[in-house]
Amino acid sequence: MLVVDDERSIRLLCRVNLSASGIDVLEAENGTKALELARRERPDLVLLDVMMPDVDGWTVARELAEDDRTREIPVVFLTARAEAADKRMGQQLGGVGYVVKPFDPVTIADFVEGVIERVERGEREQLTRGISSPPDR
Amino acid sequence: MSTTQAHDAADRARRLQRVAELLAEAVTPQEVLDAILTDGVRAAEAHAGAIGVLSGDGERVELLAQRGYDPEMMSSWATFPVDAQLPMSEVVRTGEPVFISSLAERNRIYPDLAHLGQQGHALVVLPLAVEGAVFGGLSLSFDRDVEFEEERRELKMAFARQAAQALARSRLYAAEQAMRERMTFLAEASELLASSLDYNRTLAGLAHLCVPRLADWCAVDMLGPNGEIQRLAVAHEDPEKVRWAHELQERYPPDPDAPFGVSNVLRTGEPEFLPTIPQELLDLALGDDDELRQIVDELGLTSMIAVPLNARGKTLGALSLIAADVHEPFTSADFELALELARRAAVAVDNALLYREAERRANAARALAYVADGVVLIDRDGIVRHWNPAAASITSVAEEDALDRPVAEVVPAWEALTTHVPLVAPGAPARPVTVPIVIDGDERWVAVSGVAFEQGTVYALQDVTEERALEKTRSDFVTTASHELRTPLAAVYGAIRTLRRADVELSEEDETQFLEMIEAEATRLARIVEQILLAGQLDADAVELHVTECDPSEIAAGVIESAQVHVPETISLALDVDGAPKISCDENKLRQVLVNLVDNAVKYSPGGGRVELRVRNGLGSCVIDVVDEGLGIPPGERERIFEKFYRLDPQQTHGVGGSGLGLYICRELVERMEGRLSVESEPGRGSRFTLELPAR
Repeated sequence: MLVVDDERSIRLLCRVNLSASGIDVLEAENGTKALELARRERPDLVLLDVMMPDVDGWTVARELAEDDRTREIPVVFLTARAEAADKRMGQQLGGVGYVVKPFDPVTIADFVEGVIERVERGEREQLTRGISSPPDR
Repeated sequence: MSTTQAHDAADRARRLQRVAELLAEAVTPQEVLDAILTDGVRAAEAHAGAIGVLSGDGERVELLAQRGYDPEMMSSWATFPVDAQLPMSEVVRTGEPVFISSLAERNRIYPDLAHLGQQGHALVVLPLAVEGAVFGGLSLSFDRDVEFEEERRELKMAFARQAAQALARSRLYAAEQAMRERMTFLAEASELLASSLDYNRTLAGLAHLCVPRLADWCAVDMLGPNGEIQRLAVAHEDPEKVRWAHELQERYPPDPDAPFGVSNVLRTGEPEFLPTIPQELLDLALGDDDELRQIVDELGLTSMIAVPLNARGKTLGALSLIAADVHEPFTSADFELALELARRAAVAVDNALLYREAERRANAARALAYVADGVVLIDRDGIVRHWNPAAASITSVAEEDALDRPVAEVVPAWEALTTHVPLVAPGAPARPVTVPIVIDGDERWVAVSGVAFEQGTVYALQDVTEERALEKTRSDFVTTASHELRTPLAAVYGAIRTLRRADVELSEEDETQFLEMIEAEATRLARIVEQILLAGQLDADAVELHVTECDPSEIAAGVIESAQVHVPETISLALDVDGAPKISCDENKLRQVLVNLVDNAVKYSPGGGRVELRVRNGLGSCVIDVVDEGLGIPPGERERIFEKFYRLDPQQTHGVGGSGLGLYICRELVERMEGRLSVESEPGRGSRFTLELPAR
């Protein structure tokens, strides 16, 4: 799983908690590196921050969707942007989950695993339509 | 005729001649009356004399003056009918003299006089006539019986002719004099009325002009907008009495329905003239109020004139004149003068009102022309009737292209623009609705409010584009601030949740990292909150500066000293002072700015290096450079870093990120201290922030 966030602390939180559930975690601290890692490593899911300098999360998601090598990788946004308009943007870019900071890192592994399962069951479009967040903290 | 008789006759003729000379010298009616009744009566060898004149209506004889009679007895003869069986009446009627030699003869001819028991002997009543017209009579009473032979009769007649001439002449003179005085008075009044458009002042002045020349009292009352009587002025020679009249007016406000007096004049627009105020009227007015009765009795009101100020068929007010203890009762000439005065005053008031109205309209037009809000008047048929310059500017449609045309043609989007605007009734609070309009491809936001009234609808348009932009900036600030808070909050909350996980054994290293993370992110949270507050204060211009004289090199040294404690070992701090002048600034704020700049320099020097504070003398200023050898700033971002919430790629920084407000706050603070903050940078080689503050 690829965790993309410019904040070291958020990456650390995700890595520790996801690893605890046996998930292998790749980290990227900016958009450029995220795209590079995604293309090379083909992770099962990208946990993607939106507000990053230079290449932001929206751009990363768009480029992932436009690239044959990465099109299938589900994207879950992990962001401080809580407005409805932002959530709609995440939906338009094909996100399958939308996690608003602050979030509970303890439940994040179950949430992303659930998302991956449903994607594998072919429910990707439903996930995007009803783009959801993990249970409230 | 004997020698004695001849001598007496010559003597009488001489005395008459002397009287004729005196009469010729007399100018005023009083002087003439004096000459007739003293010298004349004496020359005629009579012991009393009286002069009566025909009243204006020719119905009565009025006694003008008398000398030698018992005043008490004469008081009942002040006036009597022309057709009475009395010698004076007969003379005035016939123009023929009456000569009576004895009391017996008198009582025989005039029995009316007999029953009065009036004493006396001979009596002569002579006609006073000029150019054949009789205007009065002169009576002479003798204390003995006298036979009036031809010569005596001739002399008496000659005396009467001279007296009549002199009296007529003096009365003419007096009338002319009075006329001249009236003309002078009217001229003065006209000048006063024309002196100002403030009719409250000119009418008050007019009241004072009337006293005491025209009357003892003068008052001006105006009709208020609701028909109420407003006393504008009262004049009397004695200011104490004026004060007292005002008090009286307050205690006894005029009854607007009173059948006579000012109320009646104001109501009917008709003048009132009471040469003598009848007691019945006073009784009616006073009712049972004994106190008021006493006051009015003391005033001794004798005569009253009240004239309306009428202009263009409307009664604006009334001018009232009262003769009391001093002034003679009013004559019809006084009444005429008062009417003329009122006519002129009314014209002046009307002019002032017209001018005021014109001025009011001109001001209203001016206000509409210059008001920043668009004002649009649309009649009931949807035709534009008013389109002020602001409306023209907001809609980009000129007044001449809008007036008298259907509004739907003038602004095609008008209906869409106003369809959601609630129309309120006149006087109700406006309920503006903000709508966007696109003019020449430019979107403007306009607050539109509408008031519907009988003749149409008036709309007010206010361009609120700027306010909306400001509002957006404010809400963006709140949104961005909340974003900035969410990330450190997420870190703190997440770290605690992770540390408390019972199902996962954390490595010692991770545990330490989480604890450090909590500390650092909590510190960052606190700093962001502080900076948000400060930025908010700067935005609201609510930051207070405590300006004192400071030594910038001392402050710089303090900043370096405290930074020394926490900078990484890879950073070397230095201070270079080169003759810095004293400055006037807020010491704490300057320190805050320098701490921030030094912290930034350290933060953006992840590879270590030198961070130097250089304090030097500029041209009339103190210049402080904060120089680092760090990452530098790309050219396109050098101005943007001073914007709120703008941050350089924070992943390149070590540890805690910034709030995105530091440099914004620095620049705002420096500018408030009348200084400048700028930056020069070479990416990869470092940056130099230059702070310049004016020297003392």
